[in-house]
Amino acid sequence: MTVIKSFDNRLVISVFSYVDDLLRAYTLLKERGFELRVYSPCPIPDIEEHVANFWSPVRVFTAAGAVLGLIGGFALAILTSLDWPLRTSAKAVVSVPGFVVVGYELTILLGGLATLLGLFFLTRVPQIFNRDIGYKPEFSSNKFGLVFKCSKDELKDVYEILRTSNAEDIEVRDRI
Amino acid sequence: MQSVNYKTVDTLVLNTLRPPTLGWYILFGIILLCLAVGVSCWTYQILNGIGSSAKSNPVNWGVYITTFVFWVGIAHSGTLISAVLYLFRAKFRMPIYRIAEAMTVFAVITAGLFPIIHLGRPWTFYWLLPYPNQMALWPNFRSPLLWDVFAVTTYLTISSVFFYVGLLPDIATARDQAQSKFRKLLYSIASLGWRGDAEKWKHYASAYLLFAAFATPLVVSVHSVVSWDFAVSVIPGWHATIFPPYFVAGAIFSGVAMVLTLIIPLRAVYKLHPLIRAEHFDAMSKLTLVTSCIVGFAYVTEFYTAWWSKNPFERFQFWFRPTGDLALGFWIMFVCNVVLPQLLWIKKLRTHIGFLFVLSIFINIGMWFERYNIILQSLYRDYLPSAWGHYNFSWVELGILLGSFGWFGMWMMLFIKFFPSVAITEIKEILPVPKRHEDDSH
Repeated sequence: MTVIKSFDNRLVISVFSYVDDLLRAYTLLKERGFELRVYSPCPIPDIEEHVANFWSPVRVFTAAGAVLGLIGGFALAILTSLDWPLRTSAKAVVSVPGFVVVGYELTILLGGLATLLGLFFLTRVPQIFNRDIGYKPEFSSNKFGLVFKCSKDELKDVYEILRTSNAEDIEVRDRI
Repeated sequence: MQSVNYKTVDTLVLNTLRPPTLGWYILFGIILLCLAVGVSCWTYQILNGIGSSAKSNPVNWGVYITTFVFWVGIAHSGTLISAVLYLFRAKFRMPIYRIAEAMTVFAVITAGLFPIIHLGRPWTFYWLLPYPNQMALWPNFRSPLLWDVFAVTTYLTISSVFFYVGLLPDIATARDQAQSKFRKLLYSIASLGWRGDAEKWKHYASAYLLFAAFATPLVVSVHSVVSWDFAVSVIPGWHATIFPPYFVAGAIFSGVAMVLTLIIPLRAVYKLHPLIRAEHFDAMSKLTLVTSCIVGFAYVTEFYTAWWSKNPFERFQFWFRPTGDLALGFWIMFVCNVVLPQLLWIKKLRTHIGFLFVLSIFINIGMWFERYNIILQSLYRDYLPSAWGHYNFSWVELGILLGSFGWFGMWMMLFIKFFPSVAITEIKEILPVPKRHEDDSH
């Protein structure tokens, strides 16, 4: 989130009960060029379509982790077997069929861990003690939030749009 | 779920996090007592040697490995319910998958203890891990036992990650509605500061789908790898290609039964009836019935292949199982796993909560005895009569078996009291989206 240092700016936190109201306000405010953040208690396809219609790069992390795991798994089994070349049960020292299990498991293990890393990186968590000043507890329960910054002069217009879109609550925080 | 809305989901689920009642403390006390018995028995075994167990030659794998396979099996269906059914968009999974995932993680933690308990010198367990050491030794990657280490470790890690990522937004909900300072702090830390804006939800949904896709092969692989511990050997009754699917089906069967054992009291105590309804039990009963039929088919196939093979050792082994010294175990398994679940063909019984609870306990008993039959009976009578042996349970083994239920129960009880045991966010996802003008909906 871009933090605007100017004291002229206001943070507007509007609360909605209905998704269609929220999306109407979102569309009108977006047309006026505001940078908007939308909160919801769960992923909602309609919101995603309007607000977050982009390709999530989390799968790039997954693919990188999985490839690394596959190569690492086979490398671990093959190189350690060559380092200690003990033939057991008449099997070849480098028994590829047996090593498939190790490669397979490490593909999943590193692919999964890389996905977690990617998720944390892209969503910027953990941020345990970093307070999000635009967030309200009801956004995780049964309300939808539309949060944005505007200047003092734009407030009148913004109020009008939010009121006509049936915002239940509009809070303006000064001097952000 | 027409009668439920976002707010009621929060209220119903977060109600489970209220301060414990006297009943919770009594049950928790009993569970801790079971755990104390297990810990005492293991301590006794460490002090007096592995001879305290009933393991002997040729029955070197006894109650401990039986219980290991049992708990790995229990762990199995959590991933099936959470990952596989997620990919299939099966809505009946929503209210039950969190408890199934918790069960998976705690059951793997429990299972992981048993190979260590089984070792005569448990403090050397880390020798299984591939690490550089002063003797320049590496573990044998051609051994199924080492495959098991990788399979179970990967399963525990990925299941835990999948479980935790699923929990994140629900812990954030609990944080936002927590009253006490302690809970607020606990949930603030555990939720990692999660706040659900649209951008975050997008990455979250992509990641969750990928976790489900990665966890799904584990449903097949973990118990397949465990089954290779047996199938790759040449012991009569073990050396069979049917083992991987047979083990996987059995694991799902036992896991679904354990989910029923856990979810029925949870639903009754916390009055979760609006969330966990008759159709969910009906779906789980059908899953139980299908897997019971697969398991029954596998039992019959084992007998058929032994007969068809014309191998005298195989034939003897499968004749010995239902008629020999340990036949009681076989018949307990057969009745609990094949005969009793057939009652689920009756529609009324599929939603009869009392019946399902009792049946699920019988299935759990039956599935423990399935592993008992596979492991003990085959080792008890293998090839040469001169190598045959006996096995009598020792009190140490039974104490540790009891302790494993205490260990598993302790984690489950703590989880239910401190974290949302029903998935709040995912239930909200299947509810109708709140809209003022329904006609405008896309």
